[in-house]
Amino acid sequence: MSLTTVWLVAKREVTLTLRARAFKIGLFITALLVGAAAFAPTLLGGPDEYKIGLVNSKQLPMAQAVPDAKWDWVTFPDRAAATKAVLDGDVDVALVDDNKLLSDGEVDSKLGVMLQSVNRETKLGAAGVNVPPLAVESVGADTRYQGARMGIAFLFVIVLFGLVIQSATAVAMGVVEEKGSRIVEILLASLRPWQLLTGKVLGMGLVGLINMAVVLVVGLGAAVASGFAADFPPGMPGVIAGVLVWFVLGYAFFATFAASLGSLVSRQEEVQNVLGPMMMTIMITYGFSFYAAGDPTSTLATIVSMIPPLSSMVMPVRMAATTVPFWEVGLSMAFMVLAVAAMAALGSRVYERAVTRTGARVNLLSVLRER
Amino acid sequence: MLEITGLRKQFPGGKVALDGVGFEVRPGEMYGFVGANGAGKTTTMRIVMGVLQADAGQVAWHGRVLDAEVRKRIGYMPEERGLYQKMKVAEQIEYFGRLHGLSVAEARKASDDLIERLGLTERRGDEVEKLSLGNQQRVQLAVALVHDPEVLILDEPFSGLDPIAVDALVTVLQARARGGVPVIFSSHQLELVERLCDSVGIVSAGRMVATGPVEELRNAAGSALRVVVRGAAPGWADGLEGRLSADGDRETLLVAVGGDDQEVLRRAMKAGRVEHFGVERRSLTEIFKEAVA
Repeated sequence: MSLTTVWLVAKREVTLTLRARAFKIGLFITALLVGAAAFAPTLLGGPDEYKIGLVNSKQLPMAQAVPDAKWDWVTFPDRAAATKAVLDGDVDVALVDDNKLLSDGEVDSKLGVMLQSVNRETKLGAAGVNVPPLAVESVGADTRYQGARMGIAFLFVIVLFGLVIQSATAVAMGVVEEKGSRIVEILLASLRPWQLLTGKVLGMGLVGLINMAVVLVVGLGAAVASGFAADFPPGMPGVIAGVLVWFVLGYAFFATFAASLGSLVSRQEEVQNVLGPMMMTIMITYGFSFYAAGDPTSTLATIVSMIPPLSSMVMPVRMAATTVPFWEVGLSMAFMVLAVAAMAALGSRVYERAVTRTGARVNLLSVLRER
Repeated sequence: MLEITGLRKQFPGGKVALDGVGFEVRPGEMYGFVGANGAGKTTTMRIVMGVLQADAGQVAWHGRVLDAEVRKRIGYMPEERGLYQKMKVAEQIEYFGRLHGLSVAEARKASDDLIERLGLTERRGDEVEKLSLGNQQRVQLAVALVHDPEVLILDEPFSGLDPIAVDALVTVLQARARGGVPVIFSSHQLELVERLCDSVGIVSAGRMVATGPVEELRNAAGSALRVVVRGAAPGWADGLEGRLSADGDRETLLVAVGGDDQEVLRRAMKAGRVEHFGVERRSLTEIFKEAVA
């Protein structure tokens, strides 16, 4: 019976939110942004491109030596024409008589090194000297996917941050709606405060998951369509599952926090104000997770990924950006579950006492101090 | 029988809101709870509903002290109207029915029934925010009634309603009372209370000033001589023992029975045009005004 009641409350939240036009528009815009983000790398990035002028020279085997870059060759009749092209920026450099490089000031250092070394090799080869290239052996972690992992991690930070703030704020707004209009007085005649609180948090959490699912489906779909998915590091399903679990934990913590703070005020205008402490905590968490996305293996990132509620955003980001040992994830999750339980106990205590005290803002400390 | 005994409530600021409020309401009785603003009506009702905790005193229904389980069977309408603005009329009534433990089918049936009785049939699919105040109040009453409550507690159910809406609510409430439900409501409209209620309670500054059947209160208050004079010069009633009140150029003088009524009549006739002269039982309004004075 008591769980049926919780489910009734949750179902109402989901139905009403999904029906609201603001929600549909917001979801559409989010989907659009995520889709665009998945296409961005193909549009913005792309390989290095070099254009080289030739005057009385042969092409160097650059494409063979550096296949990642794109090489274009333009032949000029004389040195004067090549000089003009270099100064106009039509070509990056011009090779004259196989032994001179014309450039506009300094040669781009990367291009310079490549040209010089390929030129040296070619000349030496022609002279019959064969220099075997250095064999490369990696003794560190596999870094082939570093870039992709980092990008995905950053994306997750933003999505998690946005969703947790949005959902937790929605819970607080709902609490204030019921308190301010005294609906809560009617509700509390038929259900217990914890049932109402749990139902609201659960309902908005489901809405958050729907949001998250749309982001993932659109994001993955667009990544496949744009070819970006080919660059995905292995183990993406695990990373995504991790993000979902951490979203649930982080959301449960912050939503309960928001609900208890919301129950202190009676008017919607006061919500943003009263949510200050929660927003502050989320911002700090966000800051750390942004830092961890860029430097996931640092000591600070490792420590912070253990401390709830910071761990709720830092750990999934680290999991996306690097390989985190299982025991670290497990321990961090256990701490976070404890923190959620503590917040639930404290939050429902505040909520229960404050939600029927309409009028001026209720003092948080005085509520906590009551017997 | 709903028994409220010795309720005391002091707010954190130090203000004593209730100082020994108590009364009884029998099944099937319409009980009017009247008092000036801030007298303690709403506080009393909120304590009955468990929204507030009393410092002392108790509320019992059929001898059992009210707890969450009993309160589930009470229908409550708070003073400030509480409805989800974005929910549709029928949907909202059904939701509250479900919360009270009705099945989907039961909730739908109860909701349909109330929508029809309260004249909301055409608005059943509309969101509450699109309804007029009067119609919102009807929905509010439907929410209080959907689970077929054993007791009804309504805080100012008639405030801000036009006479037609008042009649619609009254009809529904009287039907419930006839079915054996005690109906307690607070109101400022004393004529309405007098017309509807079997019993009344008058509360003033947190104390029960009077409680009991309307007839008994009126009998106890006795009769008075009522004189209505139009266009009298000021001071015409100086020296006469009584209470004078004015409504435009109509002045009403109430005098205790047993004095020289002929002298009063002579003075009144000299002062202006006498429109009314007679011995009458006291109205509830008069009793109320004297009690809270």
